[in-house]
Formats: sequence, structure tokens, C-alpha cells
Amino acid sequence: MKLTFWSTKTKERRATVLAGLILLQGLCALFFIGDVVEDFRLDGHLDDPHLLLESVAAVALVGGVAFLMLELRGLLSRMSDMQTGLDIASGHLAEVIETFFDEWKLTAAERDVAIMILKGLDNDTIAQMRKTAAGTVRAQATSVYAKSATDGRAQFISLFMEELMAGKMGPVDAEVAHATGQNDDSLPPGHPHSSKS
Amino acid sequence: MVDIAKQSSGRTSARDIAVWDPLIRLIHWTLALTILLNGAFIEAESEMHEWIGYIALSLVGVRLIWGLIGPKHARFAAFPPSPARVSRHIKAMLRGDQTIHLSHNPLGALMTYNIWLTVIAIGVTGYMMTTLTFFGIDWVEEAHETIFGWLLFSIALHIAGVAFDTWRSGVNLVRAMVSGRKNIPQGREVE
Ligand code: HEM
Ligand code: HEM
Repeated sequence: MKLTFWSTKTKERRATVLAGLILLQGLCALFFIGDVVEDFRLDGHLDDPHLLLESVAAVALVGGVAFLMLELRGLLSRMSDMQTGLDIASGHLAEVIETFFDEWKLTAAERDVAIMILKGLDNDTIAQMRKTAAGTVRAQATSVYAKSATDGRAQFISLFMEELMAGKMGPVDAEVAHATGQNDDSLPPGHPHSSKS
Repeated sequence: MVDIAKQSSGRTSARDIAVWDPLIRLIHWTLALTILLNGAFIEAESEMHEWIGYIALSLVGVRLIWGLIGPKHARFAAFPPSPARVSRHIKAMLRGDQTIHLSHNPLGALMTYNIWLTVIAIGVTGYMMTTLTFFGIDWVEEAHETIFGWLLFSIALHIAGVAFDTWRSGVNLVRAMVSGRKNIPQGREVE
């Protein structure tokens, strides 16, 4: 697969430029068509070279407009595919996170702490936000790492990064597990009873 | 905090959806500009008036082609002119149904076709005035001006309709015609 990393902004700018070109060229096409019609009305035959040239120009311009329109439609549909892809990716990741938390049997408090860890908050900030002592958060975080069989914050976060980088955003199933070669049962990769056993 | 799956799908459901592509928006605002110019500022018997009128005509022409081959929300198929849909839409509104139409709502669709046809009719009668066959014939000129009156009325209704639907659905339609995106309030059905 060829990957081109154009930012969404760049794509939107390209789409706008294309739209502007379509309009300008459409107007030019109409000008030539009008001119051909007018000339034809005035002298009534099409074989004069001037008229022929203008007709060719008109046809070329109309063809160009159609081509640019198809091009713009392609660009727009790629933009909307990418948006769907992102939605699926983020929706899917949320599902994966939920599944993992369920499997690890995290308590409600531990889930909160785990999510805040994933969002990059440090223990002190988490303690402030949850209005608990830093020690409590540290204990909860330790418990999260233990239940997820990771040795700390970095490894814990990388479990989920792996899931994102796996590329294939289908449901977490045996197929993905086999493809990544991490385990041979249907548990998600990184699950304490699969990759760590 | 706990229910993250719901939280993030909630974020995708109070969402911005791209509905009007740049070509539609460019055509819309240039068309509005040409009509404003020809209706209010440009000397009616000038060559400029004719040029601007033809520009308006070709804007509609390009838009019509785009309605055949453009992306989903731009196509005629997304907003067919259908009295049945209009009556269903009105009943749904009366019931308080808040379903949001990504393309034009059925009433807006009728107005859209009406405005296109009206602009074409003005352009055609304008052109007729310049031809020898119809030069100086009163009814053509009268038609040109009468149809323009109809266009003014339509545009007033059009803007009132936009204001009404913005109030009713809570989706800022003018913003959508500028930025291209409709902001759909959380948990609302779309069609
Ligand atoms: C001469 C003036 C105008 C004309 C001829 C005109 C014509 C049109 C047409 C033909 C459409 C359909 C667009 C398409 O599908 O390509 C449309 C849509 C729209 N116009 Fe206008 N318009 C005019 C002025 C305005 C003004 C002043 C506003 C803002 C207040 C406005 C706001 C909108 C909006 C929001 C839509 C999209 C409606 C929807 O969501 O269904 N228009 N207009
Ligand atoms: C969207 C397009 C157009 C609009 C909104 C428009 C609007 C108008 C209006 C309001 C008038 C009456 C002005 C007055 O009597 O004070 C007028 C007159 C006229 N228009 Fe247009 N027009 C348009 C397109 C055209 C085109 C395409 C042509 C010709 C190629 C044209 C040719 C004329 C002529 C010749 C008159 C003068 C009639 C007369 O008083 O003898 N118009 N137009």
C-alpha cells in the first residue's frame, strides 16, 4: 500500500483550489461555446478554420472540466474514507481498552486511574483530579500494572500502542492474534494469560 | 470516566460532518453575488449585466453537472424533488421529530430546484432580448423582470427557510454553507 501523508488541511486546500479551477474553466468553456454559437449564427457554416479551432477549444475545455470534477470527487472521497478510518480506529481502540480492562477485572477506581495514565497524567495530577492521596493513586497504579502483567507505565501504555499500530482495525479476534503471532488462543495480544505465559 | 467506549462514541456523535464540498460552496456564494450585482448594482442595459447574467447561468450549469457526478450529498439523488417526501417531512416536523438531513431537507430541495430553474429562465429571457427575433418585443422584457421578481421572492423565502431550519434543528446551516460542515448535536438521528 502506498502511503501519502498529506495533512487534512493540505487536502482541504487542494479541494478548494480544484473547485476554483473547475469554476474558472467552466466559465471559459461557456465563453467559447457561446462564441462558437454566435459565430455560427452569424455566418452559418462550420468549416472556417477559426470556428473549427474555437470548437476544438470548447470541447477540450468541457473535457477538462469533467476531468477536474472526477478528480475532485476522488479527492473528496479519499478525505471521507480517511475520516471514517480515524473514527473506526478511535472507536475500536476504546473497545479494545474496555475489553482489556474487563479481562483484567479492574475495579472502577482502577479503571479511572488506568485511563488517566493512558492520557499521560502523572500520579500527582491524578491524585489531585480524584481528590485522593498520592499514595492511594500509587497503590492503584501498581495494582493496574500487576493485573495487566506489565512492569510499569511505559510498558502499560505500549500495550495499547501495539494495538493501534497493528494496522488492521477489525475486531480483536483469533485472526489478528494469529497474524501477529503472539498467541494461539483467542485472547487479545498483551493479555496476561497469553503473551505473558 | 469509566465508560470510555460510550464516551468516545459520544464524541463521534456530537460531531462535525462534512456535507458541502468546496465546489458547492463556491458556486453558492458566487451565484448569490452575481444575482446581487445584476439585481441591484449593474446598469441593466450594459454589457456587464449580460456578462454577469451568463456567469450566473454557467454557475448553475456546472452545479447541475455536479449534481449528476458529484459526491453523495451534492447529488440530485440525495435531495429528489418529491412532494411525498415534503409531506412526510412536514408531518415529522409537526410531530417534533428532530432527524437531521445531511443534504437539503425535502423543503429546501424544492427551493433549490426552484431557484435553479428561475435563474435559467432569467438567463434565457435575457439572451432572447439580445437576439434579433425577439429584440424590442415587450413580453420578453416583461418576462425577464417578472421572473426576477419571482427570484427575489424565492430568495427571501430561501433565507427565511434557512433561518427557520437552523432554529428548529439546532444545526447552523449558514455555517455549514461557509465551512462545509454540519455540526450535529449529540445523539441526533441523521439521514
Ligand atoms: C441571491 C441569493 C441566493 C441564492 C440564489 C441562493 C441559492 C441557493 C441554492 C441554489 C442553494 C442550493 C445549493 C446547492 O445544492 O448547490 C442554496 C443553499 C443554501 N443557501 Fe442560498 N442562496 C442565496 C442567498 C443565501 C444567503 C444570503 C444565505 C445565508 C443567509 C444562504 C444560505 C444558504 C444555505 C445555508 C444553504 C444550504 C441549505 C441547506 O442546508 O439545505 N443563501 N442557496
Ligand atoms: C441572473 C441573471 C440576471 C438577473 C438577476 C437579471 C436581472 C435583471 C433586472 C432586475 C432587470 C430590470 C432592470 C430594470 O429594468 O431596471 C434586467 C434587465 C435586463 N436584462 Fe437582465 N438579469 C439577468 C441576466 C441577464 C442576461 C443573461 C441578459 C442577456 C444576455 C440580460 C439582459 C437584460 C437586458 C437587455 C435588460 C434590459 C431590459 C430593458 O429594460 O430594456 N439579463 N435584468
